[in-house]
Amino acid sequence: MSETTPETEARRLATEARDRVRFEEDALALADQVYRVARHLVGSREEAEDLMQEAYARAFRSWRSFRPGTNLRAWLLRILTNLNIDRGRRLQRTPGLEPLEEGDYFLYNRLEESTPDASDEERVVERLSQDSVVSALSAVPHDFRDVVVLVDIGDFSYADAAQILDIPIGTVMSRLHRGRRVLKQQLAHEAVGTGAA
Amino acid sequence: MTGFADDPCARCEELLQPFLDRELNEAERAEAEAHLSLCSYCRKRYRFEEHLRRFVRQAVIAEPMPPELKARLADLRTPLF
Repeated sequence: MSETTPETEARRLATEARDRVRFEEDALALADQVYRVARHLVGSREEAEDLMQEAYARAFRSWRSFRPGTNLRAWLLRILTNLNIDRGRRLQRTPGLEPLEEGDYFLYNRLEESTPDASDEERVVERLSQDSVVSALSAVPHDFRDVVVLVDIGDFSYADAAQILDIPIGTVMSRLHRGRRVLKQQLAHEAVGTGAA
Repeated sequence: MTGFADDPCARCEELLQPFLDRELNEAERAEAEAHLSLCSYCRKRYRFEEHLRRFVRQAVIAEPMPPELKARLADLRTPLF
């Protein structure tokens, strides 16, 4: 049985401090990427900043539960999305099914009708403004937006998104599908004044 | 059984998202690619979707994290002593 001496205890504390500092540095280095996702999980910049501070405070407190070698960005986002859910934002209404009946070609078809030179797909996309994208994304209901933001902006795989949100992969896929369609409905509405409920 | 035997463009539309997400199996991908090589209607819409995804990503990335927030996060670290 090993005996704890003041020297071994001091060594243990020094090792722990070094690991903690490394963890904190690694987590801070990912803050820009985590913020990019956080900013679009919630409705405003202020909310995103509060959520980031809450998430990082919790991450720094519970750093021992992170397993080195696993995906730290996904771990941080899991904390952040859980906090966001705890904030009660699930009270938001879920969308009706009717606006989702349009197919995936819907947005292109709407924009093409009102674009003078629609032969170039890039010009059709240019009908949209960056502001319209940000506002359209914020109009997508939370459950769907979480998945769209994680996969399309955070660049997470379906499997990572499922782990972060603690939902099955099949649910990730169906929410992604619906979320993208709602996003397109909103973009069509912003760009040509139609298409959203 | 696809349910779109009479409407290959509808079938291709159904495959659009998983195609771009690289989530189709080999047979489905080949099916989409074969149709896209023949159909300019669907090809345009697939290309548009690719541009759209890039556009959405760039629009969102355009807003960086405020430097003050970064400083506040750094302050949350546990003091060494």
